[in-house]
Amino acid sequence: MNSVTYNIPAHLFDSYQGRKVIVRSDSSDELVIYLSRGNLENVLYAQLTSLKVELDLDPLVSWACALPIDVVVRNPAAEYPLLYHFSKLLDRHPVRISIPVKRGFVKAVRLALALGFSVKLEVGQPDACLIAEMAEVLDLYLRRSEVSQPVEYFHSTFLSFFNHQQSPNLWFVQEEDPEHFRFITNEGAETVSPRFGEIDLRELKLIVGAQQTGSRLSKTECDGCEFLETCGGYFKWPNQEFDCEGIKTLFSRLNLAAEELRNDLASFQELPGGLPA
Amino acid sequence: MMRNHLSVIFLPTNRCNVNCEYCFENKTADRMSLDQLSAVTVKLLDFMDESSISFLTLHWQGGEIMTMPVEWFEQAHERIGALAQARNKRVDHGLQTNMIAYTPRWNRIVKEMFGNSVGTSMDYPNLYRKMFRGGPDDYTRIWKRNIQAAREAGINVGVISVANRETLKVGAESFYSFFVDELGITDFQVNTPFPGGEQNDTKRDLELENEELSQFFRDLTDVWVERGLPEGVKLGPIDQLIAHFSGEPSCLPCIWQSNCADEFISIDARGFVAQCDCWVTSYPDYFFGNIFEHETLSGLLKNSTARQEFVARPAAIVDKDCIECDYLSLCHGGCPVRTYTMRHTLLEKDPYCQLYKSLFRHTETVAARLAGARVDRTDFRKALIHTGKGKSCGTNSQTTAVAAWQTQPLVQLGRRKALS
Repeated sequence: MNSVTYNIPAHLFDSYQGRKVIVRSDSSDELVIYLSRGNLENVLYAQLTSLKVELDLDPLVSWACALPIDVVVRNPAAEYPLLYHFSKLLDRHPVRISIPVKRGFVKAVRLALALGFSVKLEVGQPDACLIAEMAEVLDLYLRRSEVSQPVEYFHSTFLSFFNHQQSPNLWFVQEEDPEHFRFITNEGAETVSPRFGEIDLRELKLIVGAQQTGSRLSKTECDGCEFLETCGGYFKWPNQEFDCEGIKTLFSRLNLAAEELRNDLASFQELPGGLPA
Repeated sequence: MMRNHLSVIFLPTNRCNVNCEYCFENKTADRMSLDQLSAVTVKLLDFMDESSISFLTLHWQGGEIMTMPVEWFEQAHERIGALAQARNKRVDHGLQTNMIAYTPRWNRIVKEMFGNSVGTSMDYPNLYRKMFRGGPDDYTRIWKRNIQAAREAGINVGVISVANRETLKVGAESFYSFFVDELGITDFQVNTPFPGGEQNDTKRDLELENEELSQFFRDLTDVWVERGLPEGVKLGPIDQLIAHFSGEPSCLPCIWQSNCADEFISIDARGFVAQCDCWVTSYPDYFFGNIFEHETLSGLLKNSTARQEFVARPAAIVDKDCIECDYLSLCHGGCPVRTYTMRHTLLEKDPYCQLYKSLFRHTETVAARLAGARVDRTDFRKALIHTGKGKSCGTNSQTTAVAAWQTQPLVQLGRRKALS
């Protein structure tokens, strides 16, 4: 099996058997119908792309299958209270909420975390106002004891700083690395993610590959950026003139928090008895 | 509708044998027959099948549950057990009683059906619990005698106590001493009052000031930490909040669930279904329907506009100010029945919001202090690595970032800070 994961509409589920897939639909009924009749071995998760479900007795709630579910929020500031309708899913499924970084998205993150959901930020190229909201979310993630679930991309980034290990960069974390992910449109066309639109796949691979190594960006602020390995130039797409100052502030805070934790662990190791094995 | 566990607050009788002034239930003479009980049980089991639910807990109360004959319970236990076994379901039973009618004849069924435990209620000082003839002192005397007898018979007695204005005057130390030192109770819980059901002078004067109540709960927390915690005394919700803020498993009361409509329903002796015991006995406008008149429980629930109001409540009120609250994850706007009986709408947050926030803040601080005082290797590791309330997916061995939200533990810097 190749390493590519295909994000497919539910009605194409049968034709992608044998390949790794993420199966999406804006209807929970449709997800349950298609997924119930196929082999789930290669299904990474089901993706529900609309928050408009029945208030109660949703088919996913009574579906006796533990498949992870990703719920996509489109308009976080207005739609976020609807997340309450998904809290029942947690007893049967791991649930992640994908939230676009748009004005007021912090409310959606707050509620998602309060309900015990994992969160993935669909981040794009945030302006200063959005960076401020992201900083608020970072505070929640790092400091609030009530938060018990990961917030991506912060979580993977934090772990890579903490472990000092080379880990997948943001293209991969955000499920947009063309080497590993494809987005199949409702009409069956193959791309990488909706935000790349119609761009040719081969060209995109070249662009992303170059950005990840920094070679294409040698004359931009990625040149010599201490976070290039983690970021892979992710924030320079689609506008390469995007100013990363705010983003780098967030990276710095994650790096600092990882360092604080490492230092604290070291200081505990010096105590009699040291750390537990 | 509900999770893999269905909870039902079950009132097979609406009769009561006492005359408490602040009771939120409007009593009737109705009792459920054994055949009606079987019919209800079958519909609950059908609902569980439809919803892939394996476990049912019936919380038996009334009215007053001990106005039903012991023999009725013996047959009820047998019938429910047989019906559940045939459907491969598990049913557990809990008992909430005022203990006024308790005699040793109850001991066997309490042991066999209710795990040798009863829940009962008493306030300190007792202002409002009364017999039909006689005052609070008579009630308290009979109650004390009966719980003593039950405990001597080996029955575990848990107590729910509702704070009143005199509770606040005598203070936390005296309150704690009454239950633990004087009565030997080691498992009790403090609730806040609300004026449910038909109004009277007592209920009009029932609401307590948040500030005074907050001080009482904070003091009670400190008393429990000093005296109860080392002795293993359970004092809800304080002990559960401390456990929660310590990263330990905890069981918080229904008022602080993300939506009580996801957690349980109540069914009374007439077959009416509603959100909880207060609603099902006192607020016909909020009945979801009658289980005897509907073919299925799922159909009843799905078509109930009253139920939809409960389901929609947290989403409807969260944007007012709960979304900015640091303790949103613990409370979600609080209790619908307290809100309705004190503010006459469902679409407000719980009137005891200030108390809750004060108690959350205080117990969070206390938990941090306790953690700091007992840092050892085990505690440190527990504090550092938190696995996310068991919601990780253990079946997928993918190591990709895609799978990370299913499998990665969350490093909690907040907990580390609490230790420093």
